[in-house]
Amino acid sequence: MKDIEFTSVRVGDRLPELCIDITAKLITGAAIASRDYQNVHHDQDTARDLGSPNIFMNILTTNGFVGRYVTDWAGPSGILKKVSIRLGAPNYPGDAMVMSGEVVGKNDTDQSVELNVTGKNAIGDHVKGNVVVLLR
Amino acid sequence: MRDGRAELMADGASELFGENKLSKPVESLSEAEHYEISALEEKLRSCVGAKAGPFLAWDSVNRAMIRHWCEAMGDKNPVYSDPAVAAPMGAPAGAVIAPPTMMQAWTMTGFGAQHPPGSDTREQNPAMPYLKEYGYLAVVATDCEQEYMLPICEGDDINSRSTIESVSGRKTTALGVGYFVTQLTEYRNQHDEVVGTMRFRILKYTPAVPL
Repeated sequence: MKDIEFTSVRVGDRLPELCIDITAKLITGAAIASRDYQNVHHDQDTARDLGSPNIFMNILTTNGFVGRYVTDWAGPSGILKKVSIRLGAPNYPGDAMVMSGEVVGKNDTDQSVELNVTGKNAIGDHVKGNVVVLLR
Repeated sequence: MRDGRAELMADGASELFGENKLSKPVESLSEAEHYEISALEEKLRSCVGAKAGPFLAWDSVNRAMIRHWCEAMGDKNPVYSDPAVAAPMGAPAGAVIAPPTMMQAWTMTGFGAQHPPGSDTREQNPAMPYLKEYGYLAVVATDCEQEYMLPICEGDDINSRSTIESVSGRKTTALGVGYFVTQLTEYRNQHDEVVGTMRFRILKYTPAVPL
């Protein structure tokens, strides 16, 4: 992982896309890693009883992926200051989420960069996020 | 997935949890239903501003839980695994930094659905039991806004305090009829320093497809 320099970043820069395969293993594994034992994230029958066609990814995992996506780009010296997300189309097993991002702002005072991040699956936008990261 | 419900979700895809997507006219409700709804809404209004906490963490911030998180998220950032990389980022000697987005995980109740001893014994979200009582059984999180003030490091003991910021009116969404509840949570470490804040919005609802 390499650090990105603040001075080299331009508003309008696009981040390389990242594709995440959505599997039952990922949904349940990441839910448990985030200490989220809500049954809709591991129990298909209960998820169906509650009106969902399958188990679906929990919000903490989505948040983790949005943070990772930005720091993968920023490098180890990037410091996340804000991650703000809104969920849309759920991530179900068998789908894939393609993450994309764009630099939408730069602040010279604190060397922060603002990005918009989207995670899209086969149904639509799973997540729309806004992230602020400090760069060196 | 291509059943009626999937279609319905696809239609509302970009704003699945948006308000009044499939608005059923409120006028079709019976008088008894109206009465029940106003009784619930009065209870929900009483919850706005309600504070709860502190809720403690079962475990101090530790490398095993950080590694489990990073494995699942495919996050290879060495700040989370290598103290030598974490040190110049503000970690104490020998400690790693936890992923900032993991903040919420530290004070989750976990498998037993209980906060550890020493935590506030009141409901973490007092609107939830009312919504459950009135038949809004399903829940999804819709929004999460986190801000990070200080790094959360290995060895830290995190606690959280929450306030209910708002409860929406009764909304008909693509998922079903329900209420949005927004909570503001502050996370502190063992030095009583605020490490971060979180605004978290959930939809508690009755699924559009009957149970």
